[in-house]
Amino acid sequence: MQTAQSIENAHAQGHSGVEHPHEETFLTKYIFSQDHKMISKQFLITGMLWAIIGGFLSILFRLQLGWPNETFPFLESILGKWAEGGKISQEFYNALITMHGTILVFFVLTGGLSGTFANFLIPYQIGARDMASPFVNMLSYWFFFSASMVLLFSFFIQTGPASGGWTAYPPLNGMRNTAINLGSGLGFDLWILAMALFIISVLLGGLNYVATVLNLRTKGMNMMKMPLTIWALMFTAIIGLLSFPALLAGVVLLEFDRLLDTSFYLNNIVINGHLLGYKGGSPILFQHLFWFLGHPEVYIIIIPAMGIVSEVLSVHSRKPIFGYKAMVFSIMTILILSFLVWAHHMFVTGLNPNLGAVFALFTLLIAIPSAIKVFNWIGTLWRGKIRLTSAALFAIGFVSMFISGGLTGIILGNSTLDIQLHDTMFVVAHFHIVMGVAAFFGMFAGVYHWFPRMYGRFMNETLGQIHFYITLIGAYCIFFPMHFMTGLPRRYYSYANFDTFNNFDHLASFISISAIVVFIGQLIFVVNFFYSIFKGRKLEGVKHEDGYEYANPWEANSLEWTAPIDRLHGNWPGEIPTVHRWGYDYNVNGREFTPQNEPIRPGEVVNG
Amino acid sequence: MNVTLSDKNILSEKKEFTGVHPQKFALWLAMASMTMFFASLTSALLVKKGDFTVWENFRLPSVFLYSTITVISMSIVLQYALYCYRHAKFSMFRPSMLVAFLLGCSFLALQFTGWQQLKAMGMTLTGNLSASFVYLITAMHGVHIIAGLILTLLFIFFAIRSRKDPIYELRDIINPKRQLNLEMLVSYWHFVDIVWVYLYIFFRLNYQ
Repeated sequence: MQTAQSIENAHAQGHSGVEHPHEETFLTKYIFSQDHKMISKQFLITGMLWAIIGGFLSILFRLQLGWPNETFPFLESILGKWAEGGKISQEFYNALITMHGTILVFFVLTGGLSGTFANFLIPYQIGARDMASPFVNMLSYWFFFSASMVLLFSFFIQTGPASGGWTAYPPLNGMRNTAINLGSGLGFDLWILAMALFIISVLLGGLNYVATVLNLRTKGMNMMKMPLTIWALMFTAIIGLLSFPALLAGVVLLEFDRLLDTSFYLNNIVINGHLLGYKGGSPILFQHLFWFLGHPEVYIIIIPAMGIVSEVLSVHSRKPIFGYKAMVFSIMTILILSFLVWAHHMFVTGLNPNLGAVFALFTLLIAIPSAIKVFNWIGTLWRGKIRLTSAALFAIGFVSMFISGGLTGIILGNSTLDIQLHDTMFVVAHFHIVMGVAAFFGMFAGVYHWFPRMYGRFMNETLGQIHFYITLIGAYCIFFPMHFMTGLPRRYYSYANFDTFNNFDHLASFISISAIVVFIGQLIFVVNFFYSIFKGRKLEGVKHEDGYEYANPWEANSLEWTAPIDRLHGNWPGEIPTVHRWGYDYNVNGREFTPQNEPIRPGEVVNG
Repeated sequence: MNVTLSDKNILSEKKEFTGVHPQKFALWLAMASMTMFFASLTSALLVKKGDFTVWENFRLPSVFLYSTITVISMSIVLQYALYCYRHAKFSMFRPSMLVAFLLGCSFLALQFTGWQQLKAMGMTLTGNLSASFVYLITAMHGVHIIAGLILTLLFIFFAIRSRKDPIYELRDIINPKRQLNLEMLVSYWHFVDIVWVYLYIFFRLNYQ
């Protein structure tokens, strides 16, 4: 009877067919899961493994940069021919910086960050049972996983992984000529394959995120009642959908050049006195296609972190978010501007200076929405009853990092200054602070904040605080001195032949020591994370009539805490809660907090 | 009635829809993405064409006109198939899907002939950039056609397998999920066909 009725319902509504009760096996529950929560955890843990690998690569090249004259015999035992005599070879040094960039930018801060939090938060916070297409969502993870496997595999081939820089510029990467650069051989083909799979993963995920946010919101959840995390994740997905295809086009052309000997990017190449047959191509074309993704990419990385930080700051400072609408419109402005600034990465390519001025202008305009956001975060903290939990600390640390890195962005956005600073350590300092460390801080804030929601247990708070202080102080120790390494070019293996740069030796060792300390500090987080999954303090819940336990550990307003502690497929056992108010009613109308699903009472001042 | 979770479809509850099924909406987003992909490729072509020192002009082989006619007629046939499906005329639905599939295959064959003609004109893949772009863009579009053909073949397989048994027909063909899938498939084909028409006009304007 019941089944017959639900069949009728399904037919009457004209949507997809009936889902029959089915047994969950280990394979469907943990591996080929279509549940957004499990997919999110898969993204998170894959991302964490990548972060450990990517971070470890940076430690390896920091050993070379910090102590260029020393040898480290243990390196030979782990790296073999890439570190003969305990010294990292020049080829492998290039591979290390290339793979460090690729892994951190794409696999950790795009796949790991967006993949985790968009999957986890979108259905929970808008009140949906799952994503628009759970199957496509699962595909998105498995494309990400295959991309990861291909990239990992490339470490173990004869010629080593890609080593022409994470930006993959031709002509160096435009030919499969290992005589010039070992990493331009098979390693780079695998890099392109991994990127193509990765882009498909991002696109499949992005379709789902946007379609879910726009179509599957619960009753009463209009757009202006959505938490800022959802706005951020939706805009991120839109940027990804529109910019990643350009990179795909760029690398397809590149692979044509490599495998089929076309000359889209190559022109009059001379190797060992021989003129090769390539004619008419232009490497600058690749840079345009690359940076048409590459610049929006930094917003793909930072905007989810901004959304997470907005939510976490408001919850933990027990105050409504300051300037909700301004926050939404500033992300929207960043989204539009992000497509108009790509050539500021190309000021030194012979770009017409007048055109450069236009791009510089648009770049500097981004300072306005960014400053609005910073002002609003500080406004949210101002006179709040701040609870200094690990999540809150990381959110505050994010604001600090974003300001420090953002200020140097104003310097680098000016074409006149950038032409001087291009490819120096100043640039490395800028983007590591503003999008690397800051995005990591947002990610940590999110993990500490939503860990109880993910696993029904808390992470250890003491270890969390230790992790925070090591990371904050350590990250500044790594990147702040780089601003003052005047004129020091980035990506160099050794500066020994340049007298000008001799006086930076001690600074370089200091940076390397800091990097090692910070890396060990991250292992504290990793241990804390995995330990807490199994042994962390349990979330104490209240049993409701329906037999499920509910808990709201941070006393937060958003909908994810109205679901039972047990992670059910479909999230809520009964009806999905209806939304009556925005998510930021903290300490208003005489109440500590008021969840979004509580109806407006008479005489109440309605916010948002 | 006490409804258990597994009984209800997680997507079919009353929600604030944009009025479109979310999966169809996701397909539209995918189309936006694919548009950006082809826009990137064609704008790369325009950038290189602006470089007079390398660009070697030639006339586009005439066969691409026939492939354009083929995709347009394919779209019409698919629209007719959808019409038949909606009016439960399955005797016409199955053959028209099959015709559409064959039209898709012949489109690929015509594109391949186009490549042969280009080669005969001396415009090889590794030759002048102007020809490389034609090969590249038609190949990338062809990949989308192949993806569509695979999905169409799946649909035809279900349609033919279930033709004798009304129960199978209900399960495999006439249900809301299949209808949604068919509508999405037809939209995808229309999109890919329109992309080709755009590419053809683009080529005609740039190669003469």
